[in-house]
Amino acid sequence: MAATEEYFDLLPIDLDPQTKAVTASAGAPKALHAELAALNSLHRSLVALENTPQIPPPPIPVNPKRSANITKLKDSGNDLYRKGKHAEAVKMYTLGVQMALQRPLWEPQGLVREEISQLYANRAQAHMALQNWAEGAVDAEAAVEAKRAGNAKAWWRRGKCLLEMGRLDEARDWVGHGLEMEGEEAELLALQQEVVARLDKKQKREESEKA
Amino acid sequence: MFDIDWWSLALPFGYIFVLGSSLYVFSTIYRKRKAAESANLAPWFPPHLQKEVYSTLLELDADKDRKTKVPRSVVRAALLRRAVEDIARIIQVRQAKQALNNLLQRGSVGEDLNQRFQRAEKEIEEELKDVVMEANALAPGWGQTIFQSANEIAANTVLRSRLDDIQNKAAAEKEWWEKRRETIQSDFMKELEEEPTKVAPRLAATMTPYWSTRAPRSPHQARRRRARNKTGM
Repeated sequence: MAATEEYFDLLPIDLDPQTKAVTASAGAPKALHAELAALNSLHRSLVALENTPQIPPPPIPVNPKRSANITKLKDSGNDLYRKGKHAEAVKMYTLGVQMALQRPLWEPQGLVREEISQLYANRAQAHMALQNWAEGAVDAEAAVEAKRAGNAKAWWRRGKCLLEMGRLDEARDWVGHGLEMEGEEAELLALQQEVVARLDKKQKREESEKA
Repeated sequence: MFDIDWWSLALPFGYIFVLGSSLYVFSTIYRKRKAAESANLAPWFPPHLQKEVYSTLLELDADKDRKTKVPRSVVRAALLRRAVEDIARIIQVRQAKQALNNLLQRGSVGEDLNQRFQRAEKEIEEELKDVVMEANALAPGWGQTIFQSANEIAANTVLRSRLDDIQNKAAAEKEWWEKRRETIQSDFMKELEEEPTKVAPRLAATMTPYWSTRAPRSPHQARRRRARNKTGM
């Protein structure tokens, strides 16, 4: 212990002798329970490590096994998509997403962002081919969240899905935001024009209905 | 020789004595109050829960009456959790620093806020050194990488919670869309039955799916509109 250790209150926690899980007494505050749950799950993933002592390795270099698996899932999803089996492609991408999200937390987050954004963007495309506009919109939004710049396709896909669902105002805002991030992307510009044209038409019809 | 008249000097001496003692009393009271004030300043951060968990685990381990010892792996996990929380605090301190300096220069915030901040900065520095020392004690050389790992853990946790938030919307969005598609379709079918001559030309003109351009109309609105159409408007 460090000499500078100050006075502190002992927390009402104990250790389960069998599972080695840290538990709090029933009356403890919620924050403590949440913290212990996080601690226990981190402990489990540390114990699963092969090196001794079991400490997380530095973020770089990354264990290549998982990356290879994720790439494989993505590629087979792409193959299925090209063959027109969109529903199977969605399943493949979903497996890939799960695999990418299970990556240990101490591995570089930049890598996770890159992989997950591609998987989500591809799944959005497969959903769009199935005309599942709602799921496509959500997936494309997730892809953009993971990787904001240099991701024009995902920006376009969510805009397209919103347009198809008739959420024109949202589509206009989203595509406008995308153009700010991506610069003058031709596809996004075309989509923007389409959205604006539809909005104009809608407005005119509402006016004529009122008259 | 000089014959000092002590009695006539009593007045000036008395004056000096009263002056000195009043200054002394003022300065001690002033300093005491100031010390009490700064001791009562609220800390910048809430209590460090992860640090308390870590310390409690070490205390449990040191307790000789216990049968089960705390495994080293649990202690290591607790230290890593503590480092993750430290990363969050460092980021917060760095972000606040620039803004606080600006506000201080303009006089928008008080001096006690600055004091609280500086204390937090010092505290976090000590905390980092402490964690590195503990890490090196638990596993040789871990002190060099523990904060790299903690940094990635913090960033990954944020990323995952954001993605989860987005993905959790999927079910509700899907339900909304299915409902809306149904109402649009049934509305459209009704209109088509009642006034085929009105709808069909418009549909041909737009060549886009009818339902995607129109908000679902409430039955009330639809009735009104049909009534209007019948009167020849």
